[in-house]
Amino acid sequence: MFLAYLISILILAAIGIILAVSLQLTVGFTGLLNLGHLAFYAIGAYTSALLALAGYPFWFCILTAGVLAMFFGFLISLPINKIKKDYLALATMGFSFVVYAVLLNWTDLTNGPLGLAGIPRPQLFGFDFSQNSNFLLLVAIIALASYLIIKLITISPFGRVLESIRDNELAAKILGKNTFKMKMCAMGASAFFAGVAGSLYAYYITYLDPSSADIMQLIPFLAIVIIGGLGSLEGTVVAAIVLTFLPEPLRFIGFPSSIIGAARQVIYALFLLLILIFKPKGFYGKVKLE
Amino acid sequence: MIFAQLFANGLIAGAIYSLVALGFSLIYSTCNFIDFAHGVTVAVGAYLLYFFFSLLGLNFWLSVILTIIFTGLFGLLLNIVVFKELRRRKASNLILLTASFALLIIFESLILILFGADVKTIGYIQVSRGLDILGAIITPLQIIIIIVSFLLLVIFFFFMKKSKIGKAMRAVSDNKDVAEIVGISAERIYNWSFFIGSAVAGIGGILVGLDQNLVPTMGTGLMIKGFAAAIIGGIGSPIGAVLGSYLLGFGENFGIWYLPSGYKDAIAFVILFIFLLLRPQGILGKKK
Repeated sequence: MFLAYLISILILAAIGIILAVSLQLTVGFTGLLNLGHLAFYAIGAYTSALLALAGYPFWFCILTAGVLAMFFGFLISLPINKIKKDYLALATMGFSFVVYAVLLNWTDLTNGPLGLAGIPRPQLFGFDFSQNSNFLLLVAIIALASYLIIKLITISPFGRVLESIRDNELAAKILGKNTFKMKMCAMGASAFFAGVAGSLYAYYITYLDPSSADIMQLIPFLAIVIIGGLGSLEGTVVAAIVLTFLPEPLRFIGFPSSIIGAARQVIYALFLLLILIFKPKGFYGKVKLE
Repeated sequence: MIFAQLFANGLIAGAIYSLVALGFSLIYSTCNFIDFAHGVTVAVGAYLLYFFFSLLGLNFWLSVILTIIFTGLFGLLLNIVVFKELRRRKASNLILLTASFALLIIFESLILILFGADVKTIGYIQVSRGLDILGAIITPLQIIIIIVSFLLLVIFFFFMKKSKIGKAMRAVSDNKDVAEIVGISAERIYNWSFFIGSAVAGIGGILVGLDQNLVPTMGTGLMIKGFAAAIIGGIGSPIGAVLGSYLLGFGENFGIWYLPSGYKDAIAFVILFIFLLLRPQGILGKKK
């Protein structure tokens, strides 16, 4: 009983790690305050769910989910040199609203507010991942791979250019770097992993509705990125695990279930606010949000 | 027929958005950051009216006045407790923006915890039959909304042009350092901006709360529309904010001639996006 509960939280933590680490790539490393990350996540989740329901194999669904999310990541970053700083935050948040509206209203495809039910659990090389413990293994491997790939990106010369864009874009331009292309690639890669995380979430939860794209749901991941510290992947992973477990005691205090969701949001948002005031670099961060 | 109705709907939507956009534009132009908490301020206004009038049973007009004052104080409190503290620590405007986003989530969730997620109605104005004006059905309350919004704009405009505080606000938004050199306290002006901007948002919340139902997340959608309107119209220009609001109101309502009505929210953002790309300073804004 307790083990099953632990496994379900660990699965969500692993998905959270993928989502937070990919968000870190844009917010922390490239300095783009992207408030539309959940839109990519939802695009991935719906793509994957629809393909899985149509009977396509796991590897195909998850990759298509990532690639389609990446496509939208490129698309949204086309005007990235004209829309900057706080306007970028507003524009990406707006993108999130548009995706939410489409998921809610394109009922022929997404089944609207009723959502998609009965998404099958994945099978790969004859292995069946319908058991949560097996699924945890799968998610953990993909989370580790995502972490390593993003780590490689950030320590590569490309990653150093991204950090130089964050710290001083003009200087990066003077050195002849095509900052537009670099920012676009960062957004694309970040969106790809958000799509992958969305795909895993759809497979895990087996039921999907538009609330997964709700802007309110961004707060835990934004909190993880900033509390962990901008520009620190290790910090992000630690924060993702800690923050996933943090509100769990609420379940045992005996709050009614309708309040637990709201209470969780308050905890995350309050924690984020306190960090912004008292420790704006987060726990392992190198820079402040600018 | 349908044209007249869509026109009327556009007018009402524009009037409501302009109340949100005015406050947002004021706060953004003086304090120089996007205040997402402005969205929940609208909801706080509506729920305060519900609290004073429907729960405590106070006189309606007394409730309205208390609501406006307390909503203004709510904004002021946020500024003093959170944003002032952040500014003292030399936080960038993106940190202020993120903090305001956290505040939005905190207070929306708190409203949900305190009042419940179910829909509330204030029920002061009985459901009345709409008036038929040139083929469009408008309720008396909706006419009041349009008139109040227009009156507020006029008051606001003269306040900014003629009053001492209004002038100081424009000075701070123009150039904070110079304003401080001539003896204007920027922090005091920030407080005033938050108080007045939030009170206007509170009036918006009251009107929306009387016209529609109350849900904890009611402010988010309005906030997004108000922000979009203020940016379309030109930040820092109250007339621009109102112009943008009506443009958005009409754009949305005529847009659903072609699109399902659920896409209303998306239309606002597409218009905003086009403006950010082609004319980021807005219709009336000055190029920086």
